[in-house]
Amino acid sequence: MEFPHIFWGVFGWMIFWAVTGSIATRYFYLRRDLDTSNAPFVGAMLGASTGPIGLVPLCLNTPELTTRLMVMPALASVGVLMIAFGFADPENFCVANGSFVASQIVNGLIIGIIYGFMALGLTLIFSILGVVSFAHGEFYMIGGMITYFLTKVWLPGINPILAISLACLAAFAIGAAFERMFLTPMYEGKVDRPVEYGILVTFGLAFTIQYFVQATAGANPLKASRYFDFPRIRLPSSADPWLIKTSRGNMELFETISISNPRFTAAVMCIIVFGALMFFLHRTWTGKALRAVSQDREAAAIAGINPDRMNMLAFALGGMIAALAGAMLVQAFSWLPQVGAIPAMRSFVILVLGGLGSIPGAFVGGVIVGLFEAAGTGCLPDPQKAASYIPAYGMIILTLTLLLRPTGLFGRRFATGAHGKF
Amino acid sequence: MKRFGLLAATAILALAAYSGAAEAQSCPIKIGGLTPLSAPGAVGAGEGMRAAMLIAEKDINAAGGILGCDLKVIIADTEGLPEKASAMMEKLITQDGVVAVGGAYHSSVGVASKDVANNRKIPVVFAETWNDTITGDKQKFIFRIAPLSSWASSTLWQAALLVPNIKKVAILTENTDYGIPAAQETSKGLASGGVEAVTFSVDIGTQDYAGIVERMKAEKPDYIIVLATGEAGYNFAQQAADAGMGPQDIPFQAGQVALESKAYWENVPDGNFAFVQRIGTPANLWSEKALALNEAYKAVTNRGVIESYSMEAYDSIAILAQAINEAGTTDGDAIVAALEGISHEGTLGRIYFPYGTKKDPSVDGKGDEWWHQWPDVALTMIQYQEEGQSSVDAPIVWPDAYKTGEPIYVNQ
Amino acid sequence: MTRSRIPQAAGLFLVLFFAIFPFVYSANDYPYIMHTLIACFYYAILASSWSMLSGYAGQFSFGHMGFTGVGAYTAALFSHYFYLSPVPTGFCTEFLIGDQYLVIVDAIGVTSSTLTQDCLRKALAVWDGSVQITPMPVWLGIALGTIMGGVFGLLIGLLVLPLRAAYLALFTLGFSEILRATISAEIAITRGQAGIELPYLFDSGITLFGRHFDKTDKLPPYFVMLFLLLTCLAIMFWLTKSKFGLFVRALREDQDAAAALGVNTTRYKILVFVITSMMAAAAGAVMAHYIRIITPNNLMILQMSLVVAMAVIGGVENVIAAAIGAILINFALELLRNSFEIGPFTLDMTIWRLVVFGVLLMVTLRFFRNGLIAPLIDHFTRGHVAAETVAQRKVAADQAGGAS
Repeated sequence: MEFPHIFWGVFGWMIFWAVTGSIATRYFYLRRDLDTSNAPFVGAMLGASTGPIGLVPLCLNTPELTTRLMVMPALASVGVLMIAFGFADPENFCVANGSFVASQIVNGLIIGIIYGFMALGLTLIFSILGVVSFAHGEFYMIGGMITYFLTKVWLPGINPILAISLACLAAFAIGAAFERMFLTPMYEGKVDRPVEYGILVTFGLAFTIQYFVQATAGANPLKASRYFDFPRIRLPSSADPWLIKTSRGNMELFETISISNPRFTAAVMCIIVFGALMFFLHRTWTGKALRAVSQDREAAAIAGINPDRMNMLAFALGGMIAALAGAMLVQAFSWLPQVGAIPAMRSFVILVLGGLGSIPGAFVGGVIVGLFEAAGTGCLPDPQKAASYIPAYGMIILTLTLLLRPTGLFGRRFATGAHGKF
Repeated sequence: MKRFGLLAATAILALAAYSGAAEAQSCPIKIGGLTPLSAPGAVGAGEGMRAAMLIAEKDINAAGGILGCDLKVIIADTEGLPEKASAMMEKLITQDGVVAVGGAYHSSVGVASKDVANNRKIPVVFAETWNDTITGDKQKFIFRIAPLSSWASSTLWQAALLVPNIKKVAILTENTDYGIPAAQETSKGLASGGVEAVTFSVDIGTQDYAGIVERMKAEKPDYIIVLATGEAGYNFAQQAADAGMGPQDIPFQAGQVALESKAYWENVPDGNFAFVQRIGTPANLWSEKALALNEAYKAVTNRGVIESYSMEAYDSIAILAQAINEAGTTDGDAIVAALEGISHEGTLGRIYFPYGTKKDPSVDGKGDEWWHQWPDVALTMIQYQEEGQSSVDAPIVWPDAYKTGEPIYVNQ
Repeated sequence: MTRSRIPQAAGLFLVLFFAIFPFVYSANDYPYIMHTLIACFYYAILASSWSMLSGYAGQFSFGHMGFTGVGAYTAALFSHYFYLSPVPTGFCTEFLIGDQYLVIVDAIGVTSSTLTQDCLRKALAVWDGSVQITPMPVWLGIALGTIMGGVFGLLIGLLVLPLRAAYLALFTLGFSEILRATISAEIAITRGQAGIELPYLFDSGITLFGRHFDKTDKLPPYFVMLFLLLTCLAIMFWLTKSKFGLFVRALREDQDAAAALGVNTTRYKILVFVITSMMAAAAGAVMAHYIRIITPNNLMILQMSLVVAMAVIGGVENVIAAAIGAILINFALELLRNSFEIGPFTLDMTIWRLVVFGVLLMVTLRFFRNGLIAPLIDHFTRGHVAAETVAQRKVAADQAGGAS
């Protein structure tokens, strides 16, 4: 960094006013007996972006904290930080190289969509059962493993879609069986603290599956071949394809952004399945029943929905979605029995960021995490450290979200169920 | 009186012989084998090394064993963690009662476990731990047949300097005690040739390299060097290839893992024209012994070809067996004496240790790291020139002494 | 009445057993068994302090290994970068304190050759043995590590005040992961994955009762760790029996009700965080000095899961049961390392033992909710679980049964 003092000076100033703002705002809203759930977040963001100029009127007038009042300061503080960075490090690719920025953003978007999809299953499980499934990464791993062995070892030449479906079915069955065997005592009130029980028992499942797979399938890196090849496209003309150029495994847009085939197919698949899932949840009886249970367990039971069955469905479905993500990505990332750890960590971050239990929130959260990671790896001045910190970027978002706005972006407080308290 | 003295001497000698025999009677003789078998260690490599060490056990027993006993290789899982490594060394020595130890893959394992063995006077021949300090501490019981990290790095940068019009090199390294020093030495070497280097270090567990690849791309390097073990090496190579920065697009030195050709081609289908560093005698010069080992290894592991670390693991056990035979006892000091004078026809070549307690490296003006170090490790650079090629068939493109083919620089 | 004495007698017997064991046992694998036992005590401290935090106080944390890391790295960095020297080195940053110079060694990161030297080594080379430098005392490093653990515990405790259950678990997980990534990435200072080396617990050996123990001897660290374990257990046992324990328990059962009844929930929540993280940090620092190398891998979630599983299998609501569980499980895991041969099949227990462990964890949770050890203790000392708690659980069960 050329002028580190500029960046760190601005950063320190922002942190100072963010902390002051979050404490002061909460204090003033509390004194006037107003809802304080969003006050620390708005205070911190307004403080960070405008300093005392914005904070003083906020604390004096204590206006109603609308969505706009929450989003604008947040965007403004990101903007201020970016400007400070631009001045501090004018040579950085993130500042000086437009096509670099564009390709990083596209990368971040694509991986973000994939992350969001990974977290979808976890979100679904949480919204119905109130359990954070620590076995989420293992379902992801199983999906990849079964797809690999089906397409490459057991039935070579099998249609990849069929193989993926079979992998999903297997994950669904494992999820359903596990829920019946181990999660049922939670609902019957036999367990003292259901949330902790859920975490621990899924933890046990994760441990068992991971080492079982390692003991039986070995630990050599595996990878499935590409499921589909891109058709050959050269636009606007084959002589000068500045708009779009594809080869079997790669797509290049505007001669700057290149997207690899496995990522692209995975992202497209994620969007399609996300749409299908939204349709299922909003347009079919079973889906509506699922949502009803997530909103109010007892009321749903009175309306004739069997919450028990919905629990099983949600857990199995959540596992299946994770397996689907794993199956799609086994063509992009090499598979190992430990491969589930990273998706699991990202999913935790997104679950919290999106608002525990909010499905659109999971998707938006995924994109935000993807972009944040891309910005971190792309812009951190020291290339040695930029990549080493990748595991931390998501976790920083997670802790910040929990500190400033524990309900996440789209969060709501749940009325009933094990997740009634947070 | 004289006669009495003679009698006493004979008695002592007989007693010594007897006690030696008694020691030899404690069959089977056990040698420890350190290898990473669970995460976060490099499990794939670890499983290969285990297979090779067990083949060594079988071969030695078929040839009559050691001191009239069967050899038993006790495998210990280091998990690639220094703290586990010293615990496992402790276990091998005190619980299993091994008389010597071979194997080991991760440098950190070697650094952490060598003190334990040295304190307990148990000779160790490290197979694949490169960090210079392992022999640099000049410990009596520590030997190594792997190359020094500084030698391995010098192959990398010397080969890189031959790339036409080279100005800038991008290095991707894992942030471990193998990767970081290797990256430093490589950069230093490149700088001596007037070439700039940018180092990106990653956590070993990283899967998604898209951001790093883009950043490398923006640096516009002329050559890429990968210093990452395990699946990280595969993931990076393929994702770089996806983004148009792979071995088919610019000269690309893939990591050690690329030697495992079957897994390489599965994980990096677009990895043709990658350069790979190889340790040990090139395949075209392999002895009968190496060829036989290769066949046995392929049958056990179902892999395409034996990797150099597995050959090293095999040799580390075999050389210890020979040393024990030559020493005629399982006593640590005697084994060390035998090792210092050994000439072992291994699968890697003729193995010997010129410097040690009898001759300090400084006598020849060498650094401390030459202590108990096999000096003739052959370091070559091969290049995959056909898709699906086995690393044995791939031509050697550097150095000239071993050359079997011309390098292809893809972007020229 | 005599029945309820049985656990106390058994506990006394256990303590005596561990105190006498090193003097009685003399098989060949003595150092290995001792090493395993030291690791057992280490895990016992972690598992019992975690069960105090999570089981007893209901603050379900995944960051416990993070605190051991804080302790271990504080001790490691302290001993690695600070020395006392009677004369100035001329190369390093140094301050005159009394008649000694406090030398702060510069960070050179990870190098593979012995040629690159930090400033102190350069100075030593110049002096060529004419000056004796003093490393910092090990106990001071451990004390600093423990204090740092407490400071971090205080910070985390303050930050997690509004969080409960799943949120708390995820936040602490985040803390631990950030710490791990930072240590791995800041290679220049922490030496990253290469790990940072520490001096022996007793670098010049120790003489006790007229017998000299070498620095590599297992006996002194064994007793240090055992003493630390017993101290931690005693503190926690005393706490659970005092008013503090009552309040902390109330915190778990119903935080809002406890607050309404005038319990200062904030204070107790933070206190329990500080106390348990100090225990974890102390254990981490001692263990680091015993193993003599610390790497960020110690903070991995896998290590955390081991501790959690040990506590759960032992009995998560009883600190002593958790400690016993940890000792038994860690010992079993070590013993099961060997591979079994059943007829033509060779079962490589290195990996299968962990599968068994996972199944055991799930089954314990499902069918033995109080763990495997705690019910044994309870069996003899019935009446410690408050009657109200039992009644409350019953009511809750009835309600839930009625609702569905």
